[in-house]
Amino acid sequence: MFLKVQLPWNVIIPAESLDTKGLMLQKSIIIRLLDDFSTKKATKDLGYFLAVTTLDHIGEGKVRQHTGDVLFPVLFSCVTFKPLRGEILEGVVHKILKHGVFLRSGPIENIYLSNQKMSDYKYVPGENPIFMNDKLSKIEKDVVVRFSVIGTKYIEVEREFQAVVSLEGDFLGPVS
Amino acid sequence: MSGEEEENAAELKIGDEFLKAKCLMNCEVAIILEHKYEQLQQMADDPMNQVSQVFEKSLQYVKRFSRYKNPDAVRQAREILSRYQLAEFELCVLGNLCPETVEEAIAMVPSMKSRGRALDEEAIEKVLNDLSMIKKFD
Repeated sequence: MFLKVQLPWNVIIPAESLDTKGLMLQKSIIIRLLDDFSTKKATKDLGYFLAVTTLDHIGEGKVRQHTGDVLFPVLFSCVTFKPLRGEILEGVVHKILKHGVFLRSGPIENIYLSNQKMSDYKYVPGENPIFMNDKLSKIEKDVVVRFSVIGTKYIEVEREFQAVVSLEGDFLGPVS
Repeated sequence: MSGEEEENAAELKIGDEFLKAKCLMNCEVAIILEHKYEQLQQMADDPMNQVSQVFEKSLQYVKRFSRYKNPDAVRQAREILSRYQLAEFELCVLGNLCPETVEEAIAMVPSMKSRGRALDEEAIEKVLNDLSMIKKFD
């Protein structure tokens, strides 16, 4: 699910970018914030960080001892995406393996649908392998599939989410 | 959220951050990200170089998975869905998946049928009808 969140962060402006005043300072704060935002990439609680929408407030700067850098508390709004257990999503198949398929949905690449969670589908080997059921419904590369999320995992080192999903349930499967 | 095991969106058991934050439909995210992208285009020659991978993948995704394209239709969809007693999360799932029948809607958003909710099948039917009207004029 995509979220709109307001967050309080601290932005640190190095001493050397402080010699100009007013607008320039505001610009440095924005640039710094956008930079920090894309470096952060994701957190466990809020998911992937997509884009900053508005900078809502810049607080009083505090000079840090020793370095002389200035720390500004800011309040901004942004859009994030987090996969939730129990949620129903649509994604695109990008890889087919013997035991299941990988899908991408939103910013997540590692969404795994195991053959065990789509037991009516059988693996059909070939140059372009596919999964197919008795009703000739096909799961192949670039097909849109509607699935339910049965588990999510956040990998702190890479700042990435992984999800395992299932087709067990009504109205799930490839979408024409 | 205290323990990860407890999270279950089908029962509307989702983290506190979701109750404070506003959920967005794919089509709303598309408008926001496209606007952001246009802003970047005006500043740089090669805007795709300026954005993060997370941004790029999400933009591609929401462009493909938006049920409503023009901003008026997007606004209307939220307005219509807001008339019913739906949680933010439920509202967005319906707007994203646009179920065609009551059974499909309940399969997509099982929490709508949980005990103590004022939504009966008639009300759900009405939501779907109202939504399908927008689609026609989009």
